[in-house]
Amino acid sequence: MVASDRSAIILRARGSLELRCLLDGTDGSHVQKAVSRAFERVRARVTSQALVFRVRDSPMFIWPNKGCQVTEGIAETTACKDLQQRLRSGEPDGGKRSSKKKDKRNGDTSVINIDLLMELTEPGREAGPTLTRREVRHHLAQMALPVDCVVTAGMDDGIGDAFSRLVGALCSQLTDMESAVLRHISGTSLLVPQPFHFHLPEPTGLVTLVYPTGVPDAQLESFRKEMHVRFALPEDRPYLRRANAYHFPGEPFKDGYLRNPHLALSHPALEDAKPFLVQGVYSYHHYMQDRMDDSGWGCAYRSLQTICSWFQQQGYTERVVPSHKEIQQALVDVGDKPSSFVGSRQWIGSIEVQAVLDQLLGITSRILFVSQGSELVNQGRELASHFQREGTPIMIGGGVLAHTILGVLWSETTGDIRFLILDPHYTGGEDLQLVTDKGWCGWKGMDFWDQRAYYNLCLPQRPRAI
Amino acid sequence: MGRGYIVEALVEQYLVNLQTVHASCISGILIGQCSSQRDYVVLAAQTPQKDCGAVRGCSLGDLDADWVTEHGRQVSRMLPGGLSVLGVFLITSPDLSKEAQNTLRKLVYAMEKLISMGRLWNLTEEDVSERVGLHICSKTKKAVCRTFDVRDPKSSARPADWKYQSGVSDSWPVLKCSVDLDLYFPLSETSSENLENSVKIGLQKWAKQMESSVCLINGKHSDSDAEFMCIGFWWLLSLRCLCRPPQMSSALGEQRSSAAAEACGGSLTLAGVLQCRAYLHSHKLKARQAAEAIKRDIMNTLSSRTEMFFEDLLINEGDGKMASQQPLPQRVFAPLPGTSLSLCDYMFPDEGAAEVGERFKEMLDFDIPEEQIDMTQERVALLLCTSGLGFATHSPCVESLNILPTSRFPPGIPVSSHSAKICRTISKLPVQL
Repeated sequence: MVASDRSAIILRARGSLELRCLLDGTDGSHVQKAVSRAFERVRARVTSQALVFRVRDSPMFIWPNKGCQVTEGIAETTACKDLQQRLRSGEPDGGKRSSKKKDKRNGDTSVINIDLLMELTEPGREAGPTLTRREVRHHLAQMALPVDCVVTAGMDDGIGDAFSRLVGALCSQLTDMESAVLRHISGTSLLVPQPFHFHLPEPTGLVTLVYPTGVPDAQLESFRKEMHVRFALPEDRPYLRRANAYHFPGEPFKDGYLRNPHLALSHPALEDAKPFLVQGVYSYHHYMQDRMDDSGWGCAYRSLQTICSWFQQQGYTERVVPSHKEIQQALVDVGDKPSSFVGSRQWIGSIEVQAVLDQLLGITSRILFVSQGSELVNQGRELASHFQREGTPIMIGGGVLAHTILGVLWSETTGDIRFLILDPHYTGGEDLQLVTDKGWCGWKGMDFWDQRAYYNLCLPQRPRAI
Repeated sequence: MGRGYIVEALVEQYLVNLQTVHASCISGILIGQCSSQRDYVVLAAQTPQKDCGAVRGCSLGDLDADWVTEHGRQVSRMLPGGLSVLGVFLITSPDLSKEAQNTLRKLVYAMEKLISMGRLWNLTEEDVSERVGLHICSKTKKAVCRTFDVRDPKSSARPADWKYQSGVSDSWPVLKCSVDLDLYFPLSETSSENLENSVKIGLQKWAKQMESSVCLINGKHSDSDAEFMCIGFWWLLSLRCLCRPPQMSSALGEQRSSAAAEACGGSLTLAGVLQCRAYLHSHKLKARQAAEAIKRDIMNTLSSRTEMFFEDLLINEGDGKMASQQPLPQRVFAPLPGTSLSLCDYMFPDEGAAEVGERFKEMLDFDIPEEQIDMTQERVALLLCTSGLGFATHSPCVESLNILPTSRFPPGIPVSSHSAKICRTISKLPVQL
């Protein structure tokens, strides 16, 4: 996570810039020229004196192209860390609610959010208004470009310097957008270019790529291949799919589910043991969510949803997490259940989870069978190896319960083992504090399992693809 | 408890002078500024005479309501931000006093309706919706003041206080700014001749953007209910308007995946700088209301000018065809005698200070010497380019700047010719000599 680097701060500027293309002709070169000209105009606006940065949750406005004129309180040479300090302390400005919001946030304001505005009272022209008429028939293509760019600045860097770099980043993003639009043009139809940020392994850090809206990840594979080479990324796992986009700290998730609640836990003390954990991001699915009362029968469905959320958020599938009905329908479609199954409250097990993962997501899974719960103590190596190689959450069903295993703490020497469990039987709200305090996501020992029941584990395999 | 009207002493003088005219019935409008608790009246202007030689109206039945309200509409174009037409006055002989109340009611509602028709913005819940109807009896000199709620035509008139005071607008701060315009209006393939309609649609979009824009007064965002005066010395006001770029998303809040495309038969671009101004009263004004006043002036000045431009095009060109490049009328300012306020007017390219002075006399019934008319606020572009220069960008292809003391075009460049009629919309209004 970026937060580990305490000496850096991210400035993120977002806004919407109008692009207006006047296409006098519809043949390729005409369109290309018109699009390039239109982008040129947008770049001119961004480098003009009318550009204004507004620092979110603050009364600060900055004119980066005017020698960094600012509203009172800060100057060009103010250090980034001082700016951050002012935001954290919440300046009094007419009693805005922002100061209360800061307490709720995870305290990590290593991102300074900026909105783009254009000044209307900065006259580029000096004469009174004139109407000009063009009688040429043409096509008009308009869109709002969703610019979103970041620069990383050192804590002691002056904000003047950081902001002018941000303007530079805006210009190069516009150029990237121009390429994306021209690459995917068809006739006079222009696709809206959308920026995505990816946090790549150090030393690369944050990288921004522009993808055309509406073109699925699958069709962008060759572009991703180029980027994988450029950034020296492994060729067997996705880093640059839309779902891999970096989630900035402090931004809420639109769907409201908790992400990776296990990160709020500390490992239990176990001699000579190493943790082997799920890699990447998953959402916590449990009883009663989505206004679905599945209390008493839906635990395996919820574990399956957690696993599906992992594959979606790592970019292996664009399919959204399936509902109970969709899961049941998938089982009917593969012939595993009769059609009356859909809408029922019947339990499913690991075999069904494996079947649904295959049917809906194209994911293969291994089934591990343990004849009695006490035997799980011997599965340390197997499970550790799974988390190292695949890194996917495991669904375990046995007795009358289903759970999700997110990792193990295992000692190769003593054979001691602890299990990191995500419990789908939780019926409360998305409260991280409650979930971790009460052990709905927590480390369990061997006593957690029914020693005499048999267990089936479904171990989903990660596809080797980008 | 009714509203209170604080009226400039000069207005009292004007009304007294009117009462000495031998006529049974004189109508006119009242101009000033609203505030939450009371309104300020700074100017009264009688309705201009219809045709020279006609006898001044003898009875209320002779009163041409359309004429009175049209006068109100024309005058409202001459008011900078903060000022508006507050209502109507009638001076009648005693026997008409009762009927006068009904007439006042009709006039007030009709005027409000007409004035708000061309506007790009609407009154909000917070705006004052009461307009005044003042009746003065020519014999007893007694003034009866009532207000009508324009949001509720069925409501009954409420009595209001009418008090004279001198120096009403003396301490009113003024907000000034120049607003850059760069607008593009696509003309549809099928009706590329209907320029005015395309412009109207485009202006409505622009007005939405204007309304949601951020106003910084003295560097502070003025969207709060904080009192205006607290944010700094009012005479050091600097104003900046920042525009939030459009989102262009669908109703579901999801982004479009491709550009919105349409086939056009042509286009209009409007580029240049507007000079805008708003006067603010000094009694418990909120920062938000100050921003609103200047924003409304920005919207009004553009909508008034384009309206006038197309009206003029219709009268003079007949078929409404415009040349490839024409300037909108230029905004000029003139001080209101006895106050610190300025009113404005719009001057076409072939007009000069003389015409403006005549209009002020006719519309607002006061004399203004030509040299006091300030025509330097807006510059006029000396247009050199002609059409047909190939692909044009969104700004006029050639623009050279010149400060012209009058905006007379050099000979040879076609301009819309103005006939002897000064008032551009009502051909009925005669030229005052």
